[in-house]
Amino acid sequence: MDFSQVDYYTNRELSWLLFNKRVLGEAKDKKNPLFERLKFLGITASNLDEFFMVRVASLKDMVSAGYKKKDIAGMTAAEQLAKVNEETHKLVEQQYAVYNRSLMPLLMENGLHIIMHHEDLNKEDGAYVDRYFADNVYPVLTPMAVDSSRPFPLIRNKSLNLGALIRKKSGEEELEFATVQVPSVLSRIVTIPGGKETKVILLEEVIERNIHKLFLNYDIVCSFPFRIMRNADLTIEEDEAEDLLQEIEKQLKKRQWGQVIRLEVEEGIDDRLLKLIREELQIGQEDIYAIGGPLDLTFLMKMYGLEGFDQLKEHSYLKPQPVPELLDETDVFAKVREGDILMHHPYQTFEPVVNFIRQAAKDPNVLAIKQTLYRVSGNSPIVAALEQAADNGKQVSVLVELKARFDEENNIVWAKKLEKAGCHVIYGLVGLKTHSKITLVVRKEENGIRRYVHLGTGNYNDSTAKLYTDVGLFTCSEAIGEDATAVFNMLSGYSEPRNWNKLSLAPLWLKDRFLHLIDREKAYASQGRAAHIIVKMNSLCDKDIIEALYAASAAGVKIDLIIRGICCLKVGIPGVSENITVRSIVGNYLEHARIFYFENDGKPEYYCASADWMPRNLERRVEILFPVEKPQLQEKLRHILDCQMKDTVKASILQADGSYEKIGRRSREEFNAQLNFCMEAREAARAEKDMGNKRVFIPEMHHIEE
Amino acid sequence: MYSSEVRERDGIEIDVKGKGNMKTFAAIDVGSYELAMKIVEISAKNGIKVIDHIRHRIDLGTDTFAKGKISNERVDELCRVLREYNEIMQSYKVDDYKAYGTSAIRETENTMIVLDQIAQRTGITIEVLSNSEQRFLDYKSIASGGDSFNRIIEKGTAIVDIGGGSIQISLFDKDTLVTTQNMRMGVLRLQEQLGKLNIRPEQNESMLDEIISSQLAVFRKLYLKDRAIENIIVVDDYISAVVGKNVAGLEHTSVEASAMDKFLERVRAKSVQEVSRILGMPEENVPLLFISGILLNRVAKVMGARMIWAPGVSLCDGMAYEYGEKHKLIKANHDFEQDIIACAQNISKRYMGSRRRSETLEQIALTIYDSMKKVHGLGKRERLLLRIATLLHDCGKYISLVNLGECSYNIIMSTEIIGLSHVEREIVANVVKYNHMDFEYYEAMGTDGALDKKDYLTIAKLTAILKIANGLDRSHKQKFRNIKTSLKEEQLIITVDASLDITLEKGLFSKRAEFFEEVYSVRPVIRQKS
Repeated sequence: MDFSQVDYYTNRELSWLLFNKRVLGEAKDKKNPLFERLKFLGITASNLDEFFMVRVASLKDMVSAGYKKKDIAGMTAAEQLAKVNEETHKLVEQQYAVYNRSLMPLLMENGLHIIMHHEDLNKEDGAYVDRYFADNVYPVLTPMAVDSSRPFPLIRNKSLNLGALIRKKSGEEELEFATVQVPSVLSRIVTIPGGKETKVILLEEVIERNIHKLFLNYDIVCSFPFRIMRNADLTIEEDEAEDLLQEIEKQLKKRQWGQVIRLEVEEGIDDRLLKLIREELQIGQEDIYAIGGPLDLTFLMKMYGLEGFDQLKEHSYLKPQPVPELLDETDVFAKVREGDILMHHPYQTFEPVVNFIRQAAKDPNVLAIKQTLYRVSGNSPIVAALEQAADNGKQVSVLVELKARFDEENNIVWAKKLEKAGCHVIYGLVGLKTHSKITLVVRKEENGIRRYVHLGTGNYNDSTAKLYTDVGLFTCSEAIGEDATAVFNMLSGYSEPRNWNKLSLAPLWLKDRFLHLIDREKAYASQGRAAHIIVKMNSLCDKDIIEALYAASAAGVKIDLIIRGICCLKVGIPGVSENITVRSIVGNYLEHARIFYFENDGKPEYYCASADWMPRNLERRVEILFPVEKPQLQEKLRHILDCQMKDTVKASILQADGSYEKIGRRSREEFNAQLNFCMEAREAARAEKDMGNKRVFIPEMHHIEE
Repeated sequence: MYSSEVRERDGIEIDVKGKGNMKTFAAIDVGSYELAMKIVEISAKNGIKVIDHIRHRIDLGTDTFAKGKISNERVDELCRVLREYNEIMQSYKVDDYKAYGTSAIRETENTMIVLDQIAQRTGITIEVLSNSEQRFLDYKSIASGGDSFNRIIEKGTAIVDIGGGSIQISLFDKDTLVTTQNMRMGVLRLQEQLGKLNIRPEQNESMLDEIISSQLAVFRKLYLKDRAIENIIVVDDYISAVVGKNVAGLEHTSVEASAMDKFLERVRAKSVQEVSRILGMPEENVPLLFISGILLNRVAKVMGARMIWAPGVSLCDGMAYEYGEKHKLIKANHDFEQDIIACAQNISKRYMGSRRRSETLEQIALTIYDSMKKVHGLGKRERLLLRIATLLHDCGKYISLVNLGECSYNIIMSTEIIGLSHVEREIVANVVKYNHMDFEYYEAMGTDGALDKKDYLTIAKLTAILKIANGLDRSHKQKFRNIKTSLKEEQLIITVDASLDITLEKGLFSKRAEFFEEVYSVRPVIRQKS
């Protein structure tokens, strides 16, 4: 059986668009509080922006470089582009349908009035807006007109602009083009004071209303907002595009920097104006998006922050709960010595991880702290603790991944700071991105050196740990400790160890390990034994892995995949993937944990990892897969997987035709896994607290006579 | 009798309480192709526990074996990594460290300069191990395996220690090491030689086989004879890395010797990249793995061995073991001194030495040594050297009865006695030499720098004892077998049975006694008990 046929696979860009559609589904979902729906819509917009700048831009590069290689689904870059464009146009239409037909009326009902057009302002409000323009906006505007002596100005990537056709008041001269950028330094949302309800108007409307004040000797023939996207920012964004970049690297000597790849204009834009812009920016018809509403919906995420609408926000999810084993000031080391601890964020707080490093920094018995840092929050308490540790004379080694996409400069600043404090800083590895999340604390104890290890699926970032679902493991197992030491030796440039006890590392061993685990299930199934794989991750697009999954499914292995984002695997292909189910959970928190379950003929194995089943994770990054072996902790992982498999509220099921369908009403009982985890975390924390109280107060049951 | 020392040795108190019961030790092995450091914790309770094992690939061997010198770039690299190792040692707060250089450092023409440079630049002092010291440590690391090791060597066993520059084959018979030989066919050296041959890659294997077989044939003829070798214990960096991994058909630390054929077949059939991926081994190691495999397979065939055992130990383990032993943290589970003596006995046998004579001489010499303890101030190790000197005291007569001293010296200097350092071997050779010749004083000795003043004094003191012991047994009739000695003021009273005729001995004694008196200011006097 040949499992590599291209029609067994879905193109990853199209699969991603389906993911964004699922996010949009949350904006549509009437069960979600209104402001949450606004936020979800805003997220789809910012997702799409990123998708264009990175993925679409790279596809364009491939086309212009004449790159012919086909993708996993047998599509050329040009074919992918065409299809992506088609699907994106549909998606954008849906975005604005949601905005105009569902959300706007509801906002109005709930006392938030967004004035769509400045023409609709009443006299009083109009006067306020004009005053606001004069005081706040006018001073920061740079209007630009184009004529024979003034060339077409550079329109900045992702910026919102107003384009206008103007004519000299004096005569019948030709129409001229003028433009002004809607300043990003000012809030896009302008609140109009007074009245019972909250009234807001968007900044571009305010400018449009006053645009004549910018071109004094001209008549404004028409003015419309427009927004462009260029491929120029790709260097910073390479994180998501590295597979594409690598592919085309050899062929693409000179990229067309700054090429415009998308133009958004307001619906009903003057044809003359559009033609002018289009020609000037050299953009094809298919890349122009006529928008039936305000451009750039990311402002909705700001709208979420408007005061006075608390009742329209989600409150059923709780803030991160204390970890029962590691309450407040508990000695993390002592607790870990009692047994491995598994944490589930953000239902449980990330604080113990920060405490772990803080305590290590102060503990006189700690000799060394080693950690990999991929994305760290600004003002990170972890970085502060590491600095303190170095100050206290510990050996602190930190691998800082500078290639991580976000605020690279900021990374350098604090990496330098760490270095100054005396930490040994490794600025990444040549040719590899270090994506693993591991911390090792070496402590000198009575019985000799003991190693404490934290392994996680999420970054050491206390901010995202409140929004991303991840799992983390504390252990002082000798075997893992030895491996962790070996990991840091390798990251420091020393030879790989003779063998690994428990951990598997990408890019050298991880893929083989996964293939082995999948094949093992296949072998059991072939012998007629029960075989089952449950995997939860963010994306699945590695062809070798998918082929192995198909082969396993064909052999009779039951495979349940919980994949939030991209999934290039297809379900329900007769003889290929009939035993595979795929579900995606898009909920209040961003699903981020990677959990792997293999039935292993009745001796189940559980793993967690920093890696998805993507070529970039398995082949071009340092990633770690770690087993969870304690039965109680395995139960916890199984529970997480089971709950997600049970979810009826936020889960969508991948269909044989490639679409996703929400379970929704079809089920009798509602079950929201994320919400359930919140409640369970609270219960666990409470139970422990009660226990704690009991331990402290021991009531005397008998009165002792003297 | 000399048993008081032995009792003391057996009665070593293992320190279980108190703060000194755990040491953190760093063992650094400056090898031919790798700079390795093991951080270990040694305690009576837990034995040796490896905490960290850091390895840096650095090809010192090719420089040394091909050009005779280590290049500046390599020295720089060595220093850089050693500085890092130094930091790591500090981070673990190690109590002590040892850094040993092996063949690549040893065979470099500018060893002293390189070592001094390294010491200046890194603060780490590297000591050069002689081949026999190095192999002895490897051997100790294997023996630290304990019971399983003792079980294996009950049957005829060969330890095949494959290094970068040379290999060492040591044979065991009934629990004791009987011979050990070094052959210059380490994996790096073989690879080097193949590189010079300018042959097609397919010819590599047959060429290798030829080089190996010719050397092994000699070894077999001279040392193996018809000894039955059941087991081979392999110490190396490549085969050992593969054996025990569940990938190559070599699942356990011990495998049937025939598995090697199958393994080599598999490796042969695959590309370097594939082998590297399957075995989880860096690509550059694959050719060396292949050479090791062929070498080991050939040795196993020549010996007719049935099992191959790869305990996966390294020099660093031996260093840790030695340190633990020395600091009384661990107890030896194998009598290594007996191995050294057995080796010396075998050498003596090869050169037609009389076992009975040696034993008598040994008894007399040790009796004197023990009663002189307060005067000579030497320890257990020197006592062992004296024993070996007695065993080898006249091996030179095999070559010439006239130039006995010189010939004995040369035989000892060119025979490996596993477990003895180069300096110790030289001490033994000198003691034997001056037993037969007039003593040369330090100023005249001209010891080509290997011996220092302390060593010189040891030679003088041991020679003085051997000289009178030898004098007492002049007739070779073992008349002095049951002597008693006692030290009284400025006299060493040697009491013998009155019934014996010791005219010859008495007559020859005075000259030998002169030297003894010169060294110790104690006059040896023979008394016959009435």
